Amino acid sequence: MSAAEHPLSGTGTGIGLRQPHYREVFERRPELAFLEVHSENFFLEGGASMHALERARAAYPISLHGVGLSLGSADRLADEHLAKLKRLVDRVEPALVSEHLCWGAVGGTHFNDLLPLPHTVQTLELLARRVDHVQSVLKRRILVENLSAYVEFRDSDMTETAFLAELARRTGCGLLLDVNNLYVNAINFGFDPVARLAELDGSAIGEVHLAGHAVVDDCLVDTHGSLVCDPVWALYAETCRRFGPKPTLIEWDTDLPALDVLLSEATRANALASHASEVAHA
Amino acid sequence: MPELLAQQADFAGALRDRERTPAVERWLAGDAALVDRRLAIYRGNMVAAADKALSSAYPVIRQVVGMEFFHGLAREFQRGTPSTSGDLTEFGASFHAFLEAFEHVQAMPWLGDLARLEWAVHRAYGAADAPDWDAAALGTVAPDDQAAIRFQWAPGTALVTSRFPIVRVWTIHQPGYAGEFSVSWECTETALVARRGFVVDVAECAAGDAVFLEASLAGAPLGDAAAAALERHPDFDLAALLGRAVAARLVCGLNP
Repeated sequence: MSAAEHPLSGTGTGIGLRQPHYREVFERRPELAFLEVHSENFFLEGGASMHALERARAAYPISLHGVGLSLGSADRLADEHLAKLKRLVDRVEPALVSEHLCWGAVGGTHFNDLLPLPHTVQTLELLARRVDHVQSVLKRRILVENLSAYVEFRDSDMTETAFLAELARRTGCGLLLDVNNLYVNAINFGFDPVARLAELDGSAIGEVHLAGHAVVDDCLVDTHGSLVCDPVWALYAETCRRFGPKPTLIEWDTDLPALDVLLSEATRANALASHASEVAHA
Repeated sequence: MPELLAQQADFAGALRDRERTPAVERWLAGDAALVDRRLAIYRGNMVAAADKALSSAYPVIRQVVGMEFFHGLAREFQRGTPSTSGDLTEFGASFHAFLEAFEHVQAMPWLGDLARLEWAVHRAYGAADAPDWDAAALGTVAPDDQAAIRFQWAPGTALVTSRFPIVRVWTIHQPGYAGEFSVSWECTETALVARRGFVVDVAECAAGDAVFLEASLAGAPLGDAAAAALERHPDFDLAALLGRAVAARLVCGLNP
């Protein structure tokens, strides 16, 4: 079974497939547009996890979401990591492959986190080279996701959305618009998220993420451990009005709830997306 | 140094050592107090990533020492041995050496060997699936050639030798274990780690079998491995061991 047999339609919602839900997903086969997994959890040669992914791809389009490639590391791109990703992409033939606009490693130390970059011309040139390289190795388009961040660089001279729009224009990559991340940053850094949407070219957006966050003192922290909050739903509706419906993921990684909670969030996203596009096209 | 590299080196320094925060403040917006509060979130993520990865690889040690103490172990281990890969399943390969040297766990001198066992289990879990192999091939080897057979063992198969009862400790901490919990500390055990289908088995391995398997896993021909086992353990029963290994599909080929 390949991506060609499981094309991802323009609309519809998927969920992150996490180990505690494997059995229930395979038995119930809920109606979902796709399943997304973290690429790095499947860099294994074989065994139970790889078998589960094989079962998942037989039933659903798969989205591979990378958290460890560290596209923005100034000193090097980890070729060995990219080689593992390529092996997985060749094996799974996913509908989508995505990475983050971030760095995570320097000088041989990996923080296994999504760390922010200054949005400068220098960074843009580096990222464009890296995305070109990754797309040529993988022989496919990737999506690059906007980040949630807790600090900003003084020398950033463009917004993250303007940076991503230009990265997509230069490299042909797509964008993964994480609406929760955009909202988290809007609160943390004090900007209008709707104005940022206006900087994006909707045709470049290949996927949307929705997730919950936590409030820690004066900061929103992207935890993927709770329900999508109302302001993020509102921003999602605005995204759908502006750009039309996009494949959308309910992303939940910590304090994983019952599968039905994810499915009900997915149902809500579907309803919002179809309502918003009806309004937009009325 | 290009500016982006300097920024990332300073950022990394501040995450690993709070004393080095001033170096990154010059790059970041906001006052020192804000930067310090926000970097604390990233420092928390860093330790959480180590804890999560080690918890996944070392679930028995986590149960034995408790989750709070384990979190402290993860923090200390990461301080000395930070991750070097974006693939966290590789993180923690040297946890056994850390435990053997860490002064606050010297009362549990068997933790290091237990860590070796859990790492072997962790590796076996994601090892390649064993190829199908027809054991009848063994019967077609001419008698004169049998001593030269080199077995191909199923990926993930490993031995862990200890002067402590690590198999017993591992077994009583498995989910669903319903037996009694006594441990006789005065015994040595060799653990045989092997994938059966998608399940990783840990079993105690008899002393003669362990000598044979250690040699054979390292690539020794059957004759040499068997001679080594018989020399040290005259009761070693090659036919019985091979019968069990073939039945369990641990042998999955013959190497030239």
